[in-house]
Amino acid sequence: MTAARPLDVLGTVLRLGLAAVWLVSGVVKLSEPFTTSVAVAAYRVLPDALVTPVALVLPPVEVALGLLLLAGFATRLAAVVGALLVAAFVAGLVQAWARGLAIDCGCFGGGGPVDPDDTRYGLSLLRDLAFLAAAVFLAVRPRTLCALDRRRAATRDDAAHDDAAHDDHDRPVPVDATEEH
Amino acid sequence: MGQRERERREAAQARLQAAGITPPRTSGGTGRILAIGAVVLVLALATGVYVLWENYRSETAATYAVARDGVVVRAGDQAAPVTVDVYEDYLCPTCKQFENYYASDLTAAVNAKKAKVDYHHIVILDERSTPPGYSTRAANAALCAADAGIFPEYHARLYADQPAEGSAGKSVQELIALGTELKATGDFAGCVTRQANSQAIADATKAAVADPAVSPGGRFGTPTVLVNGVKMDLSNGDWLSRVTG
Repeated sequence: MTAARPLDVLGTVLRLGLAAVWLVSGVVKLSEPFTTSVAVAAYRVLPDALVTPVALVLPPVEVALGLLLLAGFATRLAAVVGALLVAAFVAGLVQAWARGLAIDCGCFGGGGPVDPDDTRYGLSLLRDLAFLAAAVFLAVRPRTLCALDRRRAATRDDAAHDDAAHDDHDRPVPVDATEEH
Repeated sequence: MGQRERERREAAQARLQAAGITPPRTSGGTGRILAIGAVVLVLALATGVYVLWENYRSETAATYAVARDGVVVRAGDQAAPVTVDVYEDYLCPTCKQFENYYASDLTAAVNAKKAKVDYHHIVILDERSTPPGYSTRAANAALCAADAGIFPEYHARLYADQPAEGSAGKSVQELIALGTELKATGDFAGCVTRQANSQAIADATKAAVADPAVSPGGRFGTPTVLVNGVKMDLSNGDWLSRVTG
């Protein structure tokens, strides 16, 4: 258990980092729906009819993922969905790079066609792969500190057996015990 | 790591059992957390779909008058207080997204005589079709559509049916057929066939690039939108409030 502690800390850092990434990119995209759809269209993957739907659905989903990760609620689910999303972004970037499209990834708002000299595929890809790695880590090992997931689990344990036979010395105070009954 | 974690859990279970404690099944709690998490994600998805539906529903039919002045199509009541200048190329993908997002708001403002819109027919993407020239062909046809009384519908369809960059794009015959479908009046076919405005379109493009109000620093791109002569930043929706008030 003590050996797991550093990994808990690492997981927490990754969780909060990813939360920030999703929240920032989601909120910026949400505030610029036109630019977002230009960015989505610039990848030239989706049929025209799907460009606007994706541009409108993506930002709120990103924000929701950010909120879940920030709260540490359903961390594994958020990490898995996020990893799939980032994997899709990576695929989009790779195909755009391979086809020689001159676009900005629009990862954090902006996006769309750019000057051929202004593409930053390598950087965007590296960044996305780092995010992907973090999401996969959390999907495999969603246990982190300061997470609602743990509070609920702790609450449940308390309700089940009111002894102190637990090894969680930093177990948080149950906040939602009434919900369970 | 997974291996050690499992061993640790098994050992803990054994200790609990030895102490006569039946550990509660945690899967119920996990299941509920998962379900709520999934609901959050689905709600986010639904929000996007709702916005999409609102966008789709708000499509407005044009009821304003249209006049042509050279390669500029003047839409709406010329006494309207706000003037919007729109510079577009019919092959420009961003222009298509612009039309997608803002056409219904602009149409509503023009219908309500709050604004008039001058559509400047310029061409910068002729080389992006194979063979080159779709942009000029489409711009010529759109000007003919203004004469034929079908400009708003024709303009919208040229964007809805926008060819991919690198493809051939609609031929003269196909551009004529589209006008016929939209009930063009007069000699629409003859007008499109003549392509009489190509030179004027090229001249207007040069003039737009040379105009500092339209091309600050000599950088001209499409779509460019001016409201009462001031170039707008289209990256957020704020510019629209200057039109709709």
